[in-house]
Amino acid sequence: MAVFSVAWYAISLTTPNKLLLPPPADVARALQDMATDGELFSNAAISLGRLLLAVSAAAVLAIPLGLAIGRSRLWEDLFELPVEMLRPISGIAWIPLALFIFGIGTMLPLFIMFYTAFFPMVLGTAAGARNIDRRLVAAARTMGITGTVLMRQVILPAALPAILVSVRLAVAASWTAVVAAELIGAPSGLGYALDYYRSMVMTSSVMGYVAVIGVLGFLTDKALRLLGGRLTPWAAERPR
Amino acid sequence: MMRAPYMVIRVATRLTVPVLLLVLWQALAMASGSARMPRPSAVLAAGLALLASGDLLAGLATSLGRVFAGFFLASAVAVPLGIVMGSVRPVERNLDPLVESFRPVAAIAILPLVILWLGTGSIAAVVIVAYAAFFPVLINTIAGVKRIEPNLMRAATTMGVPAITRMRVVLLPAALPSILVGMRIGLGIAWTAIIAAELAVGAKAGSSGGIGQMMFVFYAYSVELNGIVVCMIAVGLVALCLDWVLRAGLTWAVPWSRG
Amino acid sequence: MSEAKIRLEGIGKTFELPGVSLLVVDDLSLEIRAGEFLAIVGPSGCGKTTVLNMLAGLERPSTGTMMLDGRAIEGPGAERGVMFQDYALFPWQTVQGNIGFGLRFGPAGRDLSRSEQDARVARVIELVGLRGSETKYPHQLSGGMRQRVALARLVANEPDILLMDEPLAALDAQTRMILQDELLRIWGQDRPAAARRTVVFITHAIDEAVFLADRVVVLSSHPGRLKRIVDIDLPRPRDDSTRKSAAFAELGQSIWELIRDEAYRATMR
Repeated sequence: MAVFSVAWYAISLTTPNKLLLPPPADVARALQDMATDGELFSNAAISLGRLLLAVSAAAVLAIPLGLAIGRSRLWEDLFELPVEMLRPISGIAWIPLALFIFGIGTMLPLFIMFYTAFFPMVLGTAAGARNIDRRLVAAARTMGITGTVLMRQVILPAALPAILVSVRLAVAASWTAVVAAELIGAPSGLGYALDYYRSMVMTSSVMGYVAVIGVLGFLTDKALRLLGGRLTPWAAERPR
Repeated sequence: MMRAPYMVIRVATRLTVPVLLLVLWQALAMASGSARMPRPSAVLAAGLALLASGDLLAGLATSLGRVFAGFFLASAVAVPLGIVMGSVRPVERNLDPLVESFRPVAAIAILPLVILWLGTGSIAAVVIVAYAAFFPVLINTIAGVKRIEPNLMRAATTMGVPAITRMRVVLLPAALPSILVGMRIGLGIAWTAIIAAELAVGAKAGSSGGIGQMMFVFYAYSVELNGIVVCMIAVGLVALCLDWVLRAGLTWAVPWSRG
Repeated sequence: MSEAKIRLEGIGKTFELPGVSLLVVDDLSLEIRAGEFLAIVGPSGCGKTTVLNMLAGLERPSTGTMMLDGRAIEGPGAERGVMFQDYALFPWQTVQGNIGFGLRFGPAGRDLSRSEQDARVARVIELVGLRGSETKYPHQLSGGMRQRVALARLVANEPDILLMDEPLAALDAQTRMILQDELLRIWGQDRPAAARRTVVFITHAIDEAVFLADRVVVLSSHPGRLKRIVDIDLPRPRDDSTRKSAAFAELGQSIWELIRDEAYRATMR
């Protein structure tokens, strides 16, 4: 890490054009300026807010649908094909069409993120619900437990570790999509700021925003992992 | 006797939602009152036209070429690096913080920097793709090397197999399934990244083709939305094919796996 | 059965874990004779596997010396072959590939041409009864078949000393007895003692140790200490009639009495 910073500094010294590769100190100063100015926080808050809204909306639809697909032949037959048809079309490929439908604004990143988060959660939940230990369900049935109680007390907890992993995947994918969507078609947010400073050739600010996006992505994943550990204390901790 | 009607019912069930979606799409397009809104029949016609003119295939070829170049570049660095990081503790301890701090930075986020440094041509696109594919391959290679049964290495050691040979005949095959999984994920991410890069670059001067840029041109200049949908479908089909090819490669290269 | 092949003197092993140091083997002295079949038994936690790993050179003793043919054991060597409890078969190699692995990539096959290597692999496959499964992968085999592959791999390398860590532990009772008989045949119980290889065989099953071994080393647990060495004077060749004999049962009973209390305690741990 230290070697990396020194190398960056050294290369920045030998680069004739400061606009191409500003030294670390310049980036720190740019970050500080943008932080005191408040724009850093407002852009971060906007992007994180969109992330939360889009992923929550996707989860509310995707997790019950995934459970149904995983536990019922009928639901699987109904929804497997459309899911498999739409999933390979990445959220990012929807941007031009969504631009036309929604125009530049908040709806565009929200839609793209919702779409991006939806599929990992449906598939992860369905796989989790499908792969739970049959003996657990059998054991509950022999105790006379069926229907929604079975779903809530046995299937949901048994599938929960898989669901939480899929939520983490969805959030990570969605965070990538927010940058792309804002970069192309939103008047605010981290992605927008990134492209704005690029067009102004303010490289230190661009690099500052890149770092912020990385750190926020990392912290979000960390937080979800902690939350996952809290929700499933019985599940073994897996590396990475 | 009983099976035939049952199968018919199942096939019909499986087609219900896709057909409903198509009908809904057509209805929404008609209700929007805009002649530009894409609808299934027009998309089909546009798709045939784009195929006949060769534009669609040319765009796909450009994008795929960039994806493969970047993907091979990434794999050529990530696989050896991952093997070393997974088996030599000090190397891992020194490089891990660096990897972990770049990993959450999506390829799309560094796009503006890459444009600043390398412009909007093919080199920039290849760099973006290489960056996108690099981390999944690296992380999975490291994990594969670390997850190897310790007794396999010990067994080879007790047979007197030299260390360098052990790397080749034990470590590499043991990690291969995981490496190939990393490549599959990496290629998928690379394909998404190239579309994003070409889309974002499509708005800038001097951009150089590819399916993503084609979509942007359809959006921004000719407002040919049917063409956009054709491109979306093509993007999805290519994603499916890439995944299928790597999946087949995995079963071919790992005949010992349980599948 | 005369000179010592391997000599252990005052062997101790301590594992340094974060915060604690764990004494696993304490002051173990032992002579292993050339050509003998030596079994080591003891309740769980007696450090059996650790002793074997030290003999293999995979772990180093914290104290004491280990000599092989008068030279200190410094690390793994191809003259000491190991059969692991989990078999450690290479999943990407077929039955043939696994059995020929040491010949192809290790020193065992250095003086052999490729066709000589193949011939030896074929002979060993015949010996352990794996004909017809040559091109199968380990995951396509049953537990007993995998165990045969591991045994064949060990035998194919023709090591001087065969170190076996609970090789039959994972098998059902019938398969186990069949493979015990075969193990003795491969070891060469029909041959004169001078033509046999040296075997160190770890097991937790007393009857297995008595049936197979010339001598049984009984260890106590926590830490592993030498409790007694029991001579097994059952006549060879041994077979099913040996299992039915009164002497067999008596020997087993006497060893069980040595470790019974500790074994009970181990189940409560």
